[in-house]
Amino acid sequence: MNRRVLVGIFTCEEDILGATRAARARGLRVVDVFAPYAVHGMDRAMGLRPSRLSLVCLLAGATGAVLKLWFEIWTAAVDWPVNVGGKPWNSLPAFVPITFEVMVLFAGLATVAAFLLKAGLRPGRKPRLVDPRITDDRFALVLEQADASFDVDSVRGLLSRFNATEVEERVEEGRR
Amino acid sequence: MQHYWKSLEEREHGALAEGEFPENPLQTPAGRNRRGFLKAAGFSFASAVLAGCRRAPVGKAAPNLVQPEGILPGRAVYYASTCTACPAGCGLLVKTRDGRPIKLEGNPEHPVSRGGLCAVGQASILGLYDRLRLKQPLAGGKAVTWDEADRAILARLDSLRSLPGAVRFLTGTITSPTVAWAIGQFLKGFREAQHIQYDALSSSAILDAHQRTHGVRVLPRYRFEKAEVIVSFDADFLGAWISPVEFTAGYSAARNPELTTPPLAWHAQIESRMSLTGSKADRRIIAAPDEIDGLVARLAGEIESGRPEGELARRLLAARGRSLVLSASQDPATQALVNQINHRLGNYGATIDLDQPSYQRRGNDRDAENLLREADAGKIAALFVAGANPVYDLPGGEAVRKVPLVVSFAERLDETAAIAHYVCPDRHALESWGDAEPVSGVTGILQPVIQPLGGTRQLVETLAVWAGAPRPACEIVRERWREQHPDDFENFWEATLERGFAAREPKQPQARAFVSPQPPRQNTSQAGWSLVLYPTPGMLDGRHAYNPWLHELPDPITKVTWDNYASLAPGAAGKLGITDGDVIRVAGLELPAVIQPGQHERTVAVALGYGSRLSERFAQAGPEWIEALPTLGPNGRIGWNAAPLARFENGSLRYVRAGVEPVKTGRRWELARTQDHHSLGSPRRPIIQEISPEEFATARPAGDPREELWPPDHPFTGHRWAMTVDLNACTGCSACVIACQVENNTPVVGKDEVRRKREMHWMRIDRYYSGPPEAPEVAHQPMFCQQCEHAGCETVCPVLATVHSEEGLNQQVYNRCVGTRYCANNCAYKARRFNWFEYARQDRLANLVLNPDVTVRSRGVMEKCTFCVQRIQEAKMEARRLGRAVRDGEVQTACQQSCPAGAIVFGDLNDPKSRVAQLMRSGRRYRVLEEINSRPSVGYLKVVRRRGGQRHG
Amino acid sequence: MAEPCSVLTRPLIEGGKNLAQVTGDVCAPMERRPGALWWVAFLTAFGMLAAGVAAVTYQIATGIGVWGLNNTVGWAFDITNFVFWIGIGHAGTLISAILFLLRQRWRTSVNRAAEAMTLFAVICAGIFPVIHMGRPWLAYWIFPYPNFRGPLWINFRSPLAWDAFAISTYFIISATFWYVGLIPDLATVRDRARPGLRRKIFEFFSLGWDGSCRTWHRYEKVYLLLAGLATPLVVSVHTIVSWDFATSVIPGWHATIFPPYFVAGAIFSGMAMVLTLMIVARKAAHLEDYITVRHIETMAKLVIATSGMVALAYGTEFFTAQYSGNLYERFVFLNRAAGPFAWAYWIMVGCNVGVPQLLWFRRVRTHLAAVFVISLLVNVGMWFERFVIIVTSLHRDFLPANWTSYRPTSIEIATLVGSFGLFFTCFLVFCRVLPMIAMGEVKSVLSYGHKPKEEA
Repeated sequence: MNRRVLVGIFTCEEDILGATRAARARGLRVVDVFAPYAVHGMDRAMGLRPSRLSLVCLLAGATGAVLKLWFEIWTAAVDWPVNVGGKPWNSLPAFVPITFEVMVLFAGLATVAAFLLKAGLRPGRKPRLVDPRITDDRFALVLEQADASFDVDSVRGLLSRFNATEVEERVEEGRR
Repeated sequence: MQHYWKSLEEREHGALAEGEFPENPLQTPAGRNRRGFLKAAGFSFASAVLAGCRRAPVGKAAPNLVQPEGILPGRAVYYASTCTACPAGCGLLVKTRDGRPIKLEGNPEHPVSRGGLCAVGQASILGLYDRLRLKQPLAGGKAVTWDEADRAILARLDSLRSLPGAVRFLTGTITSPTVAWAIGQFLKGFREAQHIQYDALSSSAILDAHQRTHGVRVLPRYRFEKAEVIVSFDADFLGAWISPVEFTAGYSAARNPELTTPPLAWHAQIESRMSLTGSKADRRIIAAPDEIDGLVARLAGEIESGRPEGELARRLLAARGRSLVLSASQDPATQALVNQINHRLGNYGATIDLDQPSYQRRGNDRDAENLLREADAGKIAALFVAGANPVYDLPGGEAVRKVPLVVSFAERLDETAAIAHYVCPDRHALESWGDAEPVSGVTGILQPVIQPLGGTRQLVETLAVWAGAPRPACEIVRERWREQHPDDFENFWEATLERGFAAREPKQPQARAFVSPQPPRQNTSQAGWSLVLYPTPGMLDGRHAYNPWLHELPDPITKVTWDNYASLAPGAAGKLGITDGDVIRVAGLELPAVIQPGQHERTVAVALGYGSRLSERFAQAGPEWIEALPTLGPNGRIGWNAAPLARFENGSLRYVRAGVEPVKTGRRWELARTQDHHSLGSPRRPIIQEISPEEFATARPAGDPREELWPPDHPFTGHRWAMTVDLNACTGCSACVIACQVENNTPVVGKDEVRRKREMHWMRIDRYYSGPPEAPEVAHQPMFCQQCEHAGCETVCPVLATVHSEEGLNQQVYNRCVGTRYCANNCAYKARRFNWFEYARQDRLANLVLNPDVTVRSRGVMEKCTFCVQRIQEAKMEARRLGRAVRDGEVQTACQQSCPAGAIVFGDLNDPKSRVAQLMRSGRRYRVLEEINSRPSVGYLKVVRRRGGQRHG
Repeated sequence: MAEPCSVLTRPLIEGGKNLAQVTGDVCAPMERRPGALWWVAFLTAFGMLAAGVAAVTYQIATGIGVWGLNNTVGWAFDITNFVFWIGIGHAGTLISAILFLLRQRWRTSVNRAAEAMTLFAVICAGIFPVIHMGRPWLAYWIFPYPNFRGPLWINFRSPLAWDAFAISTYFIISATFWYVGLIPDLATVRDRARPGLRRKIFEFFSLGWDGSCRTWHRYEKVYLLLAGLATPLVVSVHTIVSWDFATSVIPGWHATIFPPYFVAGAIFSGMAMVLTLMIVARKAAHLEDYITVRHIETMAKLVIATSGMVALAYGTEFFTAQYSGNLYERFVFLNRAAGPFAWAYWIMVGCNVGVPQLLWFRRVRTHLAAVFVISLLVNVGMWFERFVIIVTSLHRDFLPANWTSYRPTSIEIATLVGSFGLFFTCFLVFCRVLPMIAMGEVKSVLSYGHKPKEEA
C-alpha cells in the first residue's frame, strides 16, 4: 500500500537526534531514520526495542557445544573405541578444546545469519536510498503522514528549526 | 547394424579388391548379408587376436599339477644349509616363501654357531638377487657359452699339463672337503701343480706357531664358554676375528649372571684401537701396536716364573685350565709364546681344542707370498682363482696380471675377475650343493633352495668337466659323503639334509708334545706412529662390498656408514689439529679422519674391505634431488682400499705398519654417521645402567612391570608381548640390525640420507662412552620402538594412524598415516622412521628378497619396529591350527633369532613362566626413561661392570 | 553525547575533517590509479609468492625430504612459520574485538587494516600444517567426515586435530567479523561509484545497505556479540597452538606456561606487524590525519607491555627448568642459551626483550622511523622464538644417541619467503580495492574533541 511520507534531510548528528526526539514528542510516526554511521542514542530517540540477537547467539552456541561434545564422545567411546596411548575411551578433558571452537563457530555464524535475515540484507538487494548522500554525509528523518491530523506546515517548521537542509513530501509504495 | 553394413560396403568397393583375394572372407558370395557380416566380424576379431598373440611374451608355464609335498602357497618353508659368507661356516636355516629364499637365520642346533648369524651372513642373501652377478662365462671380458669357455680353457691347459709347476690354484680358506677334493682331482692332471690357500684376514701365524710348538699346522678351536679368565692381545674375537658368532655365543655364555654359576668370565683386552671386543672388556689395556708383542713376552715370562707381577698373570695363574690367552699377532714367534702361556696354564685340552681343531683359517701366507713372487717372475703359466681376490686384497697382488692365463671363478666382476682371461662364474651358495667343515668333526651341508638365476655353474662341476668327468654337483657331494658313511647312506643323507650338518669322525691331527719355542728377539718399540689395518664386522675382507645393506650398517663403534676412514686418538688429533672429516694422508692413502676415543696415541687405524670395484655400483644409491650429495667417493667407489698397505714379513701378512705419519691435507670429506660422540652428559643420564656382581647377588627382584598406581584403563587380558635386552650380553655386533632390515623390508636410503640423519633401520644400536676420552668405558644399547603402554606417539596422531593393540603392541597403520611426524617428535626414544622420499625399489630382482608378510612403505609415511607382528600372527595361526595356545619361545623376533649372544628375549608377559616374564623380574631389569611413565614393554638388563677400568700399558 | 567528551579528550582524527572529507580521503586510494611505489611493492611481493609456489610444488612432487628435517628434528621451518603467522593474525582480532569491548575508540582508524592483516596471516599460517605433511593430498583426513571405511574417525585427543578446528574456526569467524564491518563502507563506495561493473560488484556485496537506523541498531548488537565471541576465540586459538608443544613429553615443550606465554607473544608480534604495515600505509595512502602519531604511540605502548610479558615467560621457563631438578629440562635450557643454536636464542632475546625497551622513551615512541625499525626487529625476534622453541627442544632430547643438528634447505627458505610474498600480495591488493579505514566507525568518532558546530 502506498503512503505519503515527509522526508527531512539533515547534515549533522545533533540535529537529526533533536528532530527525531521532537517529532516523537509531537506524536508523529517516525517511519525510519537514515544515517551514514551508527548515531548513538538514536535507538532511544526512535524508541526501538533492544535487539534479541543475543538470545540467538546463546542458543546457537549451546547447540554447537552440545552437538560437538556428543559427537566426540560417540566416535571415541561408542562407535569406534580404540586404545590410544592408554587413554580412557572417553577422554573428556581432551574433548574440550574442539567443543569450544565449534561453539564459537555456531554462535558466530548463527548470529550474523539472524541479523542479515532480520535486517533483510541479502546479496543483490536494490537499496532504497532516501538521499544519495545517506551513506556519505547526510541524515534523513522519514515521518509518515498517518492521517488528516498530520499538519505538513507545522512539521516543516519543526524540522527546519533543527536546520533541516530540505524537507519534501513523497509518496512511497509499501516497504517492510 | 546399419552402421556396420555401411563400413563393410566401403571396404569392399573402396578397396577395389574384387577377385584379388578370391578367398577373402570379406567377399560374401550372396552380396551383403548377415552371415557375411558375421564372417567379416569374425575374421577381423580373429586377426586382431592373432596380432595380439604375436606380441604375447613366450615363456614356459608349467602348471603345478602335482603340488610339491609340504609346500603350501604363502607358507614359509625352512631348509637347513650352511653359511658361506665367510669361512666360519655357521649353520643356516633358509626361509623360503613360494620357492623363493627371503631370509637366512641361524640354525639353533648347529654345534658351531648355536643359532646366531652375523650381520654379514644375514646380508649375504641379497647377493643371490644381485642383478650384477655374472650370468655366464666371460672370455676376455666377452660373454661366451660354457662350451666355448671349456674348449678354449682346455685347449690352453693341454699345453701345460707336462710343464712342471706351471699351474697354481689359488683360493681362500676352503672349508668344504668336496671342493678341496675336486681341486685336488683337477690338479692331478698337471705336474707339480699346487693348491694354495690364503686369507685376506690371515691368522697364518697361529697355524705356523702350532707347527712349531705342536707339530701340526692347524688353528685350534677356542672354547670361550669354558674360560673364566680371557686375555686377548688385539684379537677382536667378538667382532671380525675368525668365527665371531661361535666366539660370541661362548663368551656370553661364560658371562651371563642369570645362567652361569659365578665367577663370571673376566676379560682383559690389550689393543691399540677401540675394537668391539675391547668395548666389552672388563679391563682394557691400551698399548701401541708395536708394544703388544712385547707385552705377550712379558706375560709369558711372568707365567713361566710363576711369579705374577701384573693383574693379568695373577688372574691367569689363579685360573689354570680355566683361562684362555689369545693373540691376533701375525708374528709366529709371538704366537708361539702365546701357545707356551696356554700350555703352561694347562689350557690345551680345556679351553683350547687341538684334537678337534678349527678349519676356519687354513691360509698360508708364505705360500701366497711365494705365489706372487713366482707370478712376478713369470714362472706361472696358469692361475686359477676361486673364492679369493688377490689383486684387491693382497699387497703386490698386481703381480697376478703377469700370468698368461688367469681363470677366475668369481660370482661378480671383482678386481681379479676383471683382469682374468676367463671368468667361469660359480653359483651362489643358495643355488649350490656343497658342504663345509668349519670345525673338525662337524660338517655342514649346503643344499640349493632355488633354481639358479642365470647360467652359472658350480666350481666342482666346472672342475669335473675339465678333469674330464662331468657330473652334477649333487652327485659329486653325495659321492664324497657316501665314502664317509657307506652304510645306510640314504637315511643318513636325508637326516643330514634335514639337520643341516653331520657329526663326523674327526681326523685326529697327530699333535706331538709341546716344544717350547725359542724366545723371540725382542723387537724394541720405536716411539713412532704405526698404522693398524683391521676388518670391520660388517665389511670383513671386502668380499661383500656389493652389498648395500652392509655399507649402510653403521660401524658398531664409530657409527660411520658408507665409508672407511682413518681413526685417531683424541689427543693425537688435537696435536695435529685434525677434526672429524679432515682428509689426511697415511702411507700414501688419503682418507677422512675419525677421532676415536680409547685409541692409542700413536696409532692410525684403517678398516680393510673398502674401495672395492664391487662398490662402483652405488652411483644411484639414495634419492635424487637438487641438494642431494653423491654416495660414491672421489675415487668413484665406497671408501678406500687399505689392503695394499699390509705387507709380507718373514712369512706372514702383517697388518701393522710402523713409521707412518698422518699428514693433514686440508681437504674435507663428510662422513655419514648415525650417531655422533655424545656422552651421557653430567649429571649422567640413567639410560645405561650398571650393576656390580656383588650388588646383583643381593639385588631384589624388579617389581612387576605392569604395576600401576591406579587400575589401567585398558588391561591386557590375552597375550602381552614384551621383550628384554641384556646389555651385558650385547656386544653391539649389529647382526640384529641387518636381520631386522631383511625381515621388515627396510629400504637402503644411501649415504646422503644417512648423513642427514634419516637412516631407516628400525633397530639401531646406540653406543655410549663414559669416562675420560682417552680411555672410555663403552656401552652398547639396542634401541627400537619400546611399544609403550602410554605411547606419546599414539595420543598425538590426529588421524589415529598409530594405535594400541589388545596384546600391547603399538601399531602403525601405514595406509592411514598422513605424515605429520608429530608422533616421531613426541617419541622419547626417537624410534620412529619416516619415508622422506620414495626410496629405491626399482631393482626388480633385488625386490625378490622382500618379505611378502610385510608391507613396503610408500613415501610420506611413518614406520617403526612392530615387534615382528607378522611372526606373532604366524605363530598364533599355527597354534590355532594345532588347537593349542602359543608356547613360550614360539614367537621369535628377527633380531632375537639372529643374536649370537642371546641378548634379546621376546615373549608373553602374561605368562608368568615365560622367559621374558622371568627376566622382567630379574634384579638387573630396568626400563629406559621409566620416569616419564611411557611404560615401555621393553626391559633392559643392566650391564654387569667390574671396574677394572682401563690403563695404558 | 559529544559535548562532555570534547573537553576531556584530544581529537582522534586530526585536520578538522567533516563527514564528506572522511569519505573522500578514505576512498581516494581506491579511486585513483596505483602509483609506481605500489607497483614496485606489488611486483616484489608477487615475485616472492611465485618463488614460494615453485618451492612447494617441487616439494610436493619430490617428497618432504627436500626439507632439512631428519629423524630427530621432525619439525622446523614449517611449524615455526605456522606459529609465527598465527601469532601475527592475533593483533587484528585484538584490535577489532578486545579493544572494542574495552571501548578504545582510537582503534577505529586501524581496525579494518588490522583485521585484513589477520585474515591474510591466517591464510599464510593455514598453508603450513597442510604442506608439512608427508602426504599433503590426504590432508582432509584430519577432519571427521562420514565415510564408508567402517567406523573411521579422527583422534580428538590430538592437539593437531584441535589445531585443525581452531584455525578453521578462527579464519571463518575473523572473516565474518571483517565482512560485517565492511558492509556499510561497501555501501558508501557503491554510492560513489559510477554505474558499471564496479558499482554492480559493490551493490552485490553491500547487500542493499541503506543506512537505516533500525539496521544500525541491530548491526551494533551483532558487532558487539562477534567481538565478545572473537575475544575468547583468539585466546583459545593460540592456547591450542601452544598445546601442540605443551601436551608433548619433549623437554622444552612440556611446559604449563605455554598458553599464556604464546598468547602474549602472539599479540606482541601482531602489534609489531600492525605497526610495520600502518607506518607504511599511512604514508602511502596519505592517511596521516586518520592514523596519527597518537595511534602509533598507543600501539607502541602495547608492544612494550607484551614484550614485558614475553620476557617474564622466558625467565620463568628458565627458572622452572633449573628449579625442577629434572636433568633433561635443565639441559634443554642450558643448551638453548649455550648450545649450537645459541645464536638463534640470543637473537630472540635481543629482539623481543632488549630492543623494545627503547619504546619506554616518548621520543622513540613518537619517532616513526624508529618505531618502524623496532617493529621489524620484533617480528624477526618472534620468528626466532618459535624456531628456538621447536628446534632446540627437538634436536637434543632424551637419548644423546639421537642428538642431531638441523640446517634448512633452499626449498624451506623459499617457502618462508613465499609466505611473506603471499601476505604482502594480499595486503597490497586489499589497499587498492577496499576502504582501508572503517569510515562508518571513524565518522562516529569524528566529533570527538571538536567543538559542536554552532547552529548555521
